[in-house]
Amino acid sequence: MSIESIHLDKVSKRFRLGAANEYGRLTEAIASGVQSLFRTSSKPVPKRSQDSFAERIEDGWFWALRDIELSIQSGDIVGIVGRNGAGKSTLLKILARIVTPTQGRVGVRGRVGSLLEVGTGFHPELTGRENVFLNGAILGMPRSEIRKRFDEIVAFAEIESFLETPVKRYSSGMAVRLAFAVAAHLEPDVLIIDEVLSVGDQAFQRKCLGKASQLGAQGRTVLVVSHNLAAVANLCRRAVLLRDGRLIADDVPERIIEQYLAEMRSGDGQRQWDDDDSSPCSKELRLRSISVTGNGTDTPASEVDIDQEIHVVVEYRVLIAETPVSVQIHVKDETGSFVFWSANAPSMNLEPDPWFGKPHPIGTYRSECCIPANFLNDTRYFVSVFLGPEVGVVAIRKDSVLSFVVHDTGAMRQEYTGSWLGPVIRPRLHWCTRTVQP
Amino acid sequence: MAKNDDTIPPMHFYGPTDAFGFGQLAEIWRTRELLYSFFLRDLLIRYRQVVVGILWVLLQPLMGMLIFMGLFFVLGTQAGNSTVASYAPVILTGMLCWQLVASSFRDATGSLVNYRHVVTKIYFPRLLLPLASLMCAVFDFVIGSLLLLPVCGITGTSIVWTTAWLAMPIALWLIVFCAGCIAWLSALNAHYRDVGYALPFVLQLGMFVSPVVYDIERLRALLTDRWVWLYEANPIATCIGLLRWSLLGTAPPSALGMATAAIVTLLICFSGLAWFQHADQQLADRI
Repeated sequence: MSIESIHLDKVSKRFRLGAANEYGRLTEAIASGVQSLFRTSSKPVPKRSQDSFAERIEDGWFWALRDIELSIQSGDIVGIVGRNGAGKSTLLKILARIVTPTQGRVGVRGRVGSLLEVGTGFHPELTGRENVFLNGAILGMPRSEIRKRFDEIVAFAEIESFLETPVKRYSSGMAVRLAFAVAAHLEPDVLIIDEVLSVGDQAFQRKCLGKASQLGAQGRTVLVVSHNLAAVANLCRRAVLLRDGRLIADDVPERIIEQYLAEMRSGDGQRQWDDDDSSPCSKELRLRSISVTGNGTDTPASEVDIDQEIHVVVEYRVLIAETPVSVQIHVKDETGSFVFWSANAPSMNLEPDPWFGKPHPIGTYRSECCIPANFLNDTRYFVSVFLGPEVGVVAIRKDSVLSFVVHDTGAMRQEYTGSWLGPVIRPRLHWCTRTVQP
Repeated sequence: MAKNDDTIPPMHFYGPTDAFGFGQLAEIWRTRELLYSFFLRDLLIRYRQVVVGILWVLLQPLMGMLIFMGLFFVLGTQAGNSTVASYAPVILTGMLCWQLVASSFRDATGSLVNYRHVVTKIYFPRLLLPLASLMCAVFDFVIGSLLLLPVCGITGTSIVWTTAWLAMPIALWLIVFCAGCIAWLSALNAHYRDVGYALPFVLQLGMFVSPVVYDIERLRALLTDRWVWLYEANPIATCIGLLRWSLLGTAPPSALGMATAAIVTLLICFSGLAWFQHADQQLADRI
């Protein structure tokens, strides 16, 4: 017998772009309301483009989630996998009832405990003991029940000697231990965990995973977002994959992780858009292809040798005459750390790009960026491409559209064979030692 | 499956159930323990950080009363139609009521914004936060009311015991009015930050627009009877007037004034509830 515990029915959520950090003013709202009374309504036509990022943008709104259909049975432990910005956290926030969906409905059976951040709901001035009661109450627990489980919570969190200390004096590890202990022990019917486990130490992480699977065995529903794919594989019986705000796969974790990794290392060193309908475009520009070549050849390759120049080639069409074009690439590593960015502007070029800033006649163009040999380390890199009329103005944007792996051929390993220090780059530099005094 | 059928909670679908937001009231009743926890937390934090502690609650209205008595004594005028001594309890009831209004407005307006690190991370009925601030203000109000007995004793004013019990429902009226206002203010402030900046100014003005340091009798002489109901449409004015009438036997507000004030109170409460629910939908995105 299984009971449906969570039900999402065509759930979509949109946010206003750029307004995330702005607070409105009542005076301004009233003023613009009065103004609009005297203005004839002329709605701007929403710009649409086939680009996956642009597709989520509509008239100043950004669709974080689109038509999510999901049904989870009680007792399920479900992992949510996806790239950054795929909508994982928004989905959890909707389930936790923090964010109201723009469309669709969400049904949840019973009490929801959510751990979306370290020490959620802790008040820094209150002691550990007082916070357990407050946090428990926020999670919907009667005081009598909290009292009953109090010792268990404190023992799990290993903070016995700090009970009467204000939480502001806790280390982040202590705070997250206590937060997890409260959330996990107060018997939520649904427990939602977002990355918080990455804060604690190894031993505590294991303890948390054990507790989570125990909750699942008790017939409670657990939802986990984690970049720790091994944890997802071990803990979950089911996983879903999100991409660009849509739920694209729902399967056993092994298969989802496989698909996710395949997506991450998408392709053969080339992304091509053959038909005009699917290619990323703006009014003036249309992206045709992006490719990486290395190994001394012109064939696109997703694996390149460390001792060869790497070329990132961007091909695009100019649709309107006299459009100035600037091409930009961002290179990030697997952890998402920024390695470098570059544009074809003179200040970033060894020799000026003849077409930079010039009005382009209609036609197809190919911009090529050359990354020197023996510069990147032997790891995977992700390339994002930006096209616009000038540096800093983005008309077309493709995030992490390509990835490539640099292989160590041994060319730089003549004296030293251990793993390379410094994970991101490994440049060959000019060194010279001179005698100063004999 | 460890759970039995009879313990399976119902599937709860989110989203507004009714346009007027009455569903929020049922939810607040369900989560009243949390309301108590928030109230306790606010109280604890307040008195942990303030050295004078509970004395502060008594000191504030008392000081306010003494300052205005001194002021009127120096100016040589009387704000009420009575002697300076018997004026003390009149001004004290006004001060107590005003403190309830001012401190609940002040604390509740910031309550959602100050707690946004929790509001954006965890769900609970948001209305609990401003209501907890209101409960703190009510707590102060109740403690402060105890001052009336010694002040009446010293000034030789006798409390009208036959109508004194009416003070309870009258105070409740004022509290309900405050609840409606803070539902408006707290959600407005989460969306529009300038509300918080404008509030101190509005409160300062409100203190003199309401009969806090004078009594309504005084105004009756200025306003003609035809217009006094408009003044009494302000529920704060009517409640203060009624409280003074029930406790001290001063003239009550006019019937028309009371009726208008009651309508105003209902309008603010219902619209506040509906507005709060509407604002709550975008709270985590906007706050």
